Amino acid sequence: MASHDVMPDIELYQPSTLDDALDLLDRYGDEGWLLGGGQDTYGWLKDRAKHPKAMIDLNGIENLRGIRELADGIEIGAVTTLVEIIGNSLVKRDFGLLSQAAARVASPQIRNVGTLGGNLVQDARCWYYRRGLSCYRAGGNLCYADSPQGMNREHALFGASRCVAVSPSDTATALVALEATMVTANLEGVRLIPAEEFFAGPDTHITRMTSLEPGEILTAVRIPSKWAGRRFYFEKVADRNVWDFALVSIAVAMAVEGDVISDARFVCGGVACKPHRLRNVERAAVGMTLSDESAATLGPLASQGAKPLNYNQFKLPLMENLVRRAMRG
Amino acid sequence: MDLATYKEDIWGREVILGASWELLWLVVVSAFVVIALHAVVLAVRRRGARPSSAGPRVARHSAIDRLFHWIMAVAVIALLITGVLPIIGLEFSWLTIHWIAGLVLTASVVFHIVRSLFWQDLKSMWISARDLKEPFDATIRPGKYSVAQKSMHAAVTVLVLLVIGSGLVMFAMIDTPWWDRSNSIAESTLGWVFLIHGLSTIALIALICLHVYFGLRPEKLFYTRSMIKGWISKEELEANHDPERWAPGKSS
Repeated sequence: MASHDVMPDIELYQPSTLDDALDLLDRYGDEGWLLGGGQDTYGWLKDRAKHPKAMIDLNGIENLRGIRELADGIEIGAVTTLVEIIGNSLVKRDFGLLSQAAARVASPQIRNVGTLGGNLVQDARCWYYRRGLSCYRAGGNLCYADSPQGMNREHALFGASRCVAVSPSDTATALVALEATMVTANLEGVRLIPAEEFFAGPDTHITRMTSLEPGEILTAVRIPSKWAGRRFYFEKVADRNVWDFALVSIAVAMAVEGDVISDARFVCGGVACKPHRLRNVERAAVGMTLSDESAATLGPLASQGAKPLNYNQFKLPLMENLVRRAMRG
Repeated sequence: MDLATYKEDIWGREVILGASWELLWLVVVSAFVVIALHAVVLAVRRRGARPSSAGPRVARHSAIDRLFHWIMAVAVIALLITGVLPIIGLEFSWLTIHWIAGLVLTASVVFHIVRSLFWQDLKSMWISARDLKEPFDATIRPGKYSVAQKSMHAAVTVLVLLVIGSGLVMFAMIDTPWWDRSNSIAESTLGWVFLIHGLSTIALIALICLHVYFGLRPEKLFYTRSMIKGWISKEELEANHDPERWAPGKSS
């Protein structure tokens, strides 16, 4: 497949209201493409692997931008850039987990233009799929990555169902840990979707990464105050420190009363098609203190139930060690 | 309208991807048109009095055959729901239910084949030259099964064997509790397997529409009752069957 340096011929729309954007999306259907920061989009289009007729640029819609304080938490517009989130004092003070995760996305240049919405709804990075091959995720009838010669070092340990691609989003893990709610809109109205249900696995939605329906736009993310100011831990392991996707990442939110953990959410990225909650670790962590002993107990629980592929067994100790590091005092 | 859809394989060659699911709508609409026409024709035709279900009874289907029929029916319905709804846009976690239902269907069909070959009268389902005259000659009455029932059975046999055969190949392409998928079948071969599975499924849907329709028609309802309770009345037997070709024992 040829790769091109220039964009294909495409209609560009720059609506200034959400209603206009929804009308355009409705009009173009499958042939409309929503544009946030463009960091996922431009690769697809320049590689000629996707062929939309119209691009609907959401960046001119003021309602979709900015960070607002709510009665219970905060709301972040979907086209708020990652760099705005990283620098926002409210996010930094109450939801540092999201700041840390956003700060590890790609590179400074990409974070300057990349949006929260774009980071959350970006497509799978499996190179067979990105190369335009007709795999399950592209509507085909097989998986090239999980084949005898398939290269699957970056692929899933959990929740694979025919497709073994993983969720590439760093902010997704943090938002699942923070029990965020996704606000979506279509011509009929608004839908609120818990972050954990927003991301979809291949067992139900093999050709998309989220439960966004056709004609629907992610408009904002709400983070409740439940976890505000709690103890957080985020770490991302990648082949290089910038401009790379996670091999494995972990986002942890913990409520610690005295020295004892009273509630916790452990979420791993890079190991499943959606942010992967470590429920057995969460259950076991309650009542423990942050210590090397607790870390040693919880670490092995992280990889329970994993189904490694030919080349990604190394992710098992990586997950376990990330849990251990999160549990150190 | 195409029978198949196509894609490029990893080498850039055009290969079959699977069945064209637009055919589903064509087949379903056609089946309902046939059903509607049949219903109208029979409605305007004068009919005699239906035989009574009261009086002495004769056994038509043994308990084991009825059990097989309904297990197969449940498995096929589960397979159609889990196989077709995601294709037409209703997405849910279907794959595990699908292959479990597929295994139930396979096991029940294997059981039926073995039982038919060794413990049942296989010839009662064969279509003979005499059977073919049955629709055109009112003096010819069927044995245990009419030519329509035998034809339905033959068509369902072929289609179910095709879906099971192709389904088993596809089963090898997914992870199960017993093995990890090999994913090593050539893409062109796999396309044919998906095509056979899809087309036979679409044809089965049409046959099931007809089967359910005929099973619910007032004059045929006694056959459905016999598939539930096992018996028909002696009057129904004499009105619809040739006692020389089918002489069942009396039912308790």
